[in-house]
Amino acid sequence: MKIVFNKFRGVIIRSSGLVAFLALWEIAPRWGWADPQFLPPLSSVLKAAAVLWDDGFLYTHIIVSLWRALLGTLLAMVIALPLGFILEGWFPSGSRRLDPLFRLLSHLNPFSLAPVFMLFFGIGELEKLAIITLVAVWPVLFHTITGIRTVDPLIIKTAYSLNVSKLILIWDVLLPGALPTIITGLRVGTQMAVFMLIAAEMLGASAGLGWLVHNSAMLYQVPRMYAGGLSIIVLGICINQIILRIERNSLFWKDSIEFLGQTNRRAVNFTNSLYVPILIGVIVGILFFGGQEVNRVNSQGLYNKDNMSQHNHPIKVE
Amino acid sequence: MKAFKVALDNNIAILVFLLVWEFMSRIGLFNAMFIPPFSAVLVTTWDLMVSGHLAQDILISLMRAITGFLVAAIVAIPLGFLLGGWFKNTQLALEPLFEMAAQANPFILFHVIILFLGIGEATKITIIAWICIWPILFNTASGIRNVDAVLLKSALSFGLGKWAIFYKIVLPAAAPAIFTGFRLSAGYSFFLLIVAEMMGSNSGLGWFVLYSQENYNIQWIFSGAMLIGVLGLSIDLLIQYIEKKVIVWEVEERVE
Repeated sequence: MKIVFNKFRGVIIRSSGLVAFLALWEIAPRWGWADPQFLPPLSSVLKAAAVLWDDGFLYTHIIVSLWRALLGTLLAMVIALPLGFILEGWFPSGSRRLDPLFRLLSHLNPFSLAPVFMLFFGIGELEKLAIITLVAVWPVLFHTITGIRTVDPLIIKTAYSLNVSKLILIWDVLLPGALPTIITGLRVGTQMAVFMLIAAEMLGASAGLGWLVHNSAMLYQVPRMYAGGLSIIVLGICINQIILRIERNSLFWKDSIEFLGQTNRRAVNFTNSLYVPILIGVIVGILFFGGQEVNRVNSQGLYNKDNMSQHNHPIKVE
Repeated sequence: MKAFKVALDNNIAILVFLLVWEFMSRIGLFNAMFIPPFSAVLVTTWDLMVSGHLAQDILISLMRAITGFLVAAIVAIPLGFLLGGWFKNTQLALEPLFEMAAQANPFILFHVIILFLGIGEATKITIIAWICIWPILFNTASGIRNVDAVLLKSALSFGLGKWAIFYKIVLPAAAPAIFTGFRLSAGYSFFLLIVAEMMGSNSGLGWFVLYSQENYNIQWIFSGAMLIGVLGLSIDLLIQYIEKKVIVWEVEERVE
């Protein structure tokens, strides 16, 4: 018994906080510490989630939200990465001068300009993607620029003295040197994208997790609202963990100095492992299936599915 | 004169951007109805400021943002120390919980908090405090965890007590990280405040922008958006300035 306990000691301690919180959530409404109407016990929230999943709606919401977040982040990457490299590689002084402008623009709140976005992009998918991209672009761009600037100058000078061309310098020296910072930027950008996605879906959408929560709140479907919120949290944690993993593995040539924790030093080169193909597969899958669902939702509406069960789903309310 | 030149050089991009914006809408490349020229936006802002209403809205928004931020700082810094590894088991137990809580999107929380607190001031401040807590908390924790081991060891070998180590070594060493958290939080707080004010309020900058949106007063929208951006940037610069004044011991590493 004791051996078993010692073996799982770390796991038990790590999960104790979470378990206590979830238990409190279940107990508090049941024992009347909180109004069950406002805070339904965890079990009924999970039940609501299961019902949603059975009807196939939860899958639609999740994949639609994922599609939007992923496409927005990819667009932000496509804009920010080359921009960062071009600015730093060819026009370093121009990049320094553009910095204040970028800082100013990054403080622009897409919400305050929502009508302008609507004027330019309509109220379809394009508007949401534009909002998400606008928010996600800045962290990626700033981190790319910082990453390139903090590459060890000795390495760059060595490369110059070997007379390499600019493209090779960027591909072989600057990119790997800046990669850890860029991935941190990606993580922040993705977080911002998910964050804004929920808001954008609340503003006007016909599917997606943000819409699910908003709609449930408007209809006082409190357990369903919590179910939607929980799925967003779980999704956020998954995305965060995946990127953190990549981040740690991309740092394989650096020693991390941690005093109180043990050092995380990994000799794994993630470009050699299965990471990249799996990741690309997942991304393509989300883009494909998500695209299908988005098309279906936008053309037919969420509730026109053949196998839907009407019983506990209210009609869509805008 | 030299200072002016430096300032001009640093802000040339912003100037060019504003000039292009002005020019484009003047010659009609943009529809001036949708994107009014910069000068018109400035004039509108000035008129609004003179009339006094906007100044009041700005003050209200700033008050809310600052209150939420302070609440977050008061809650998050001690928690961050707790998470920083001085109590190993507490840290291990709380970390997953906090990581989960940090993912709780404030827009979703909005609906939950409204259920409990209604749509008064308390809701807005709670939302802002919630979003501000996490960057401060995690940065404080990682700042403490990454205190230079050599410093700690030499402090120990000098026989310093736990308290003396804490605020002669750990606190100064973690301060830059804490300030990074402050900056992130301040940015979020202002960003979110606007959203919170849009969702249920009758005063503040966010409300002003929403009001302009509902009336399709494009010039007001632009002046509101511009003010929000400028205010957010000034807050960021202010915190950077304070950081420079407070943390004099940090050697800036710069690679050109």
